[in-house]
Amino acid sequence: MMQENLIEEIVREVLKSLQNNQASAPACKAQSESKTSLDPARDYPLATKRPELVKTPTGKSLSDITLEAVLKGEITPQDVRITPETLEMQAEIAEKVGRHQFARNLRRAAELTHIPDQRILEIYRALRPYRSTKEELLAIADELEQKYGARMNATLVREAAEVYERRGRLRSA
Amino acid sequence: MQISEQLVRQVVQEVLASMGQAEPAKASAPEAPAQPVSGLTLTELGPAQPGTKADEVVIGLAPAFGLYQTKTILGIPHAVVLREMIAGIEEEGLRARVIRVRHTSDVAFVAHTAAKLSGSGIGIGIQSRGTTVIHQKDLDPLSNLELFPQCPLLKPETYRAIGRNAARYAKGGSPNPVPTENDQMARPKYQAVAAVLHIKETEHVDRNAKPVELAVSFK
Amino acid sequence: MKRSKRFEVLENRPVHQDGFVHEWAEVGLVAMNGPNDPKPSIKIENGRVVEMDGKPRSEFDMIDQFIADHAINLELAEKVAAMDSRELAKMIVDVNVPRSEIVKLTTAMTPAKICEVVGHMNVVEMMMALQKMRARKTPDIQCHVTSLTDNPVQIAADAAEAALRGFNEMETTVGIVRYAPFNAMALLIGSQTGRGGVLTQCALEEATELQLGMKGFTAYAETISVYGTENVFVDGDDTPWSKAFLASAYASRGLKMRFTSGTGSEVQMGYAEGKSMLYLEARCVYITKGAGVQGLQNGSISCIGVPGAVPGGIRAVLAENLITTMLDLEVASGNDQTFSHSDIRRTARTMMQFLPGTDFIFSGYSAVPNYDNMFAGSNFDAEDYDDYLVLQRDLMVDGGLRPVSEEEVIAIRNKAARALQAVFKELGLPPITDEEVEAATYAHGSKDMPPRNVVEDLKAAEELFKGPATGLDIVKALAKNGFEDVANNVLGMLKQRVSGDYLHTSSIIDKNFVVKSAVNDPNDYAGPGTGYRISPERWEEIKNIPWAMRPDQIG
Repeated sequence: MMQENLIEEIVREVLKSLQNNQASAPACKAQSESKTSLDPARDYPLATKRPELVKTPTGKSLSDITLEAVLKGEITPQDVRITPETLEMQAEIAEKVGRHQFARNLRRAAELTHIPDQRILEIYRALRPYRSTKEELLAIADELEQKYGARMNATLVREAAEVYERRGRLRSA
Repeated sequence: MQISEQLVRQVVQEVLASMGQAEPAKASAPEAPAQPVSGLTLTELGPAQPGTKADEVVIGLAPAFGLYQTKTILGIPHAVVLREMIAGIEEEGLRARVIRVRHTSDVAFVAHTAAKLSGSGIGIGIQSRGTTVIHQKDLDPLSNLELFPQCPLLKPETYRAIGRNAARYAKGGSPNPVPTENDQMARPKYQAVAAVLHIKETEHVDRNAKPVELAVSFK
Repeated sequence: MKRSKRFEVLENRPVHQDGFVHEWAEVGLVAMNGPNDPKPSIKIENGRVVEMDGKPRSEFDMIDQFIADHAINLELAEKVAAMDSRELAKMIVDVNVPRSEIVKLTTAMTPAKICEVVGHMNVVEMMMALQKMRARKTPDIQCHVTSLTDNPVQIAADAAEAALRGFNEMETTVGIVRYAPFNAMALLIGSQTGRGGVLTQCALEEATELQLGMKGFTAYAETISVYGTENVFVDGDDTPWSKAFLASAYASRGLKMRFTSGTGSEVQMGYAEGKSMLYLEARCVYITKGAGVQGLQNGSISCIGVPGAVPGGIRAVLAENLITTMLDLEVASGNDQTFSHSDIRRTARTMMQFLPGTDFIFSGYSAVPNYDNMFAGSNFDAEDYDDYLVLQRDLMVDGGLRPVSEEEVIAIRNKAARALQAVFKELGLPPITDEEVEAATYAHGSKDMPPRNVVEDLKAAEELFKGPATGLDIVKALAKNGFEDVANNVLGMLKQRVSGDYLHTSSIIDKNFVVKSAVNDPNDYAGPGTGYRISPERWEEIKNIPWAMRPDQIG
């Protein structure tokens, strides 16, 4: 029973990651479909209960990240990062314990995993009050959507642009 | 400008006097402009302009400083605070320019506004209750070079040292930060009073007002 | 008037050093149930909130809109709005109504409604409610590890000792901002020397804090402040939307985070809009919920002097902790700032969270003497350790700490200082001398430490921050210098961000790096004999304070 689930799970994960690699809009494809069958009581925490499901962005397993491997230079900062697939699994667990807003945050996060640190910081700064014009915010939303497939984040930024305009919190051009 | 023994005595006396009568501020409507602060005249010269000279430090005063309020939470007259700060800047061979920031009473933004208008990029922000920040124009508003959040611990010599350090940053130096006291019991004693003083400062904020250049003269 | 000797004695008591002020409701200087607080209401049309707490949608400010569109569970909202608030309060206190049922109702309330509900409770009822409503079954405790001189060696040693004493989460901050990377690194190495799995953070300006997390110098973030009025939020240089984006940014790097707020901040910043402190704080809790953040640090925090000065203020502080748990969020419940000159008062204030237990009773017990506490002092500090152990023992309450021996503390402090010394050397940072290691081993605070060259340190810290070094470089430096165990622990913390298990509500990490959160350790309190109970082993630990006398050795 467990075995069968496990195999199913792995196959699904592999297929999903293949899809993601091909699609131009990666990340959070999974959000509406892919109700995998994670059970919070049985599968959480993933690192101890379902380690086989967790991969690094470079395809390594948790057990590959060892002190030896670090010292040999086989582990790079890219290996100690979370993938959109793992965030989606955690979002599913969150949802199953009734934490819907938290699940949505994890899914927005999944969309952001591919965006470089510097760009993340820039977008955050642009969202601070009086930093951007409405056009600048809308351009960021388009970039999020088109370049990174970050649809939920794009929606959030567009919503911000509307509110900032209504409340006078935009940068006067 | 040297600090004389007489001045020190006078300040200490004033501080002690004001501490003796530490009545919690009474609830009231926004007060009218106070009597001109003794020894301090602030004349408005029009909109503050961005500075072009690298040898200046801009001091940004919060909306009520020296106008609706006249002394810090410790009772140090605003005249003394400003004189010390300017003296500290001049000691380092730089010039002080004073502006009033009116669109915010938040000390970080007052300081950042001053820094952005400063020819050297260095500004100091000060609230009526005495809270002070040294800022640099390229930093995020809520970041800072040095922050002096506990206004009940700031004495005349601290303000002088703050002026001095701001000038040193303006010259491109990395001075040792002004030693700060850390009296953890200032909060329970002063925080609510500080809040009342800040409310009274904030009542004079005009969100749409631009910073104003001030001419400062001491008697 | 001839003075009464009685009154002279009373005036000299420590409580007279505290500042007390009368209420001034028009500007919001009132703890809860303010005369200008809105009355609860909600109207929903086509799945959209068109009126909330007496305000039509067209008049919503930023915060109203964010709460209405993101924070409230609309399915039950109208039903709950119609229920009697006193009946709801009774259900929350009733041990026979399970937490899971209550959460469905409380997450459907508006801010004004939730304030009205808790407004019916006295503090004992609030404590009963908190015991039932906190998300994680096991209570816990966080500490501050800071230094007046930002001395990294001292921070590492104090972090190691604090881990040994039982703190599972640690927070540092800076006197001088540019010291941040050193303090964060010292806290990480020190904590992981004391015990693998301790979560660490460094409180800084938002963007800088995120950068440190991205580098792997910290494991989580907490100082992400939110405020209850739009003006103060903007003065805090953010909006609910920028903060929600920031929350996702942290999660996208696999980093745990919580928001921070607290009663009194709006009135302290001069824009309370005439609303009570608790009502505005409730809005902060909803913003946190709406942003999808797993938890919140509140309990007035740095503004405690404000509610502390007005009538009923400490009840309001307990109420804000309770509201946080009612929205199914982790609560790190304050007790982290100097609050009173009176030992009686500061203890009473802490009992409100200590007795029921919260996810983190303190969100900053000072693990250093208060003169070193750069959050401007905590309500309890390193000099109160033994008092705290006795409180646990007297009342049979698990406050999260354990008795330790002097020998083991000295040994672990020394090891942490040496580990940091090795990493500084390996990374080419200004050297840590053997004299400094020795001083940190036996130090009580920064006064016992030799001074460092601050200018040189700051220069190196800035280069470290801008440079390419990450947590992995710390792992390598430790391993190369004979600290394999500490290296493994630091690596274990970095691995947490791959699996993301600790992103969940109320997470802590045990010594085997297994996450314990509200998902796998949910609070199931349902009256006597249920919920968290002290195990026999833990009771042995709490009982055995080293300085208690053995009856067989008396006489």
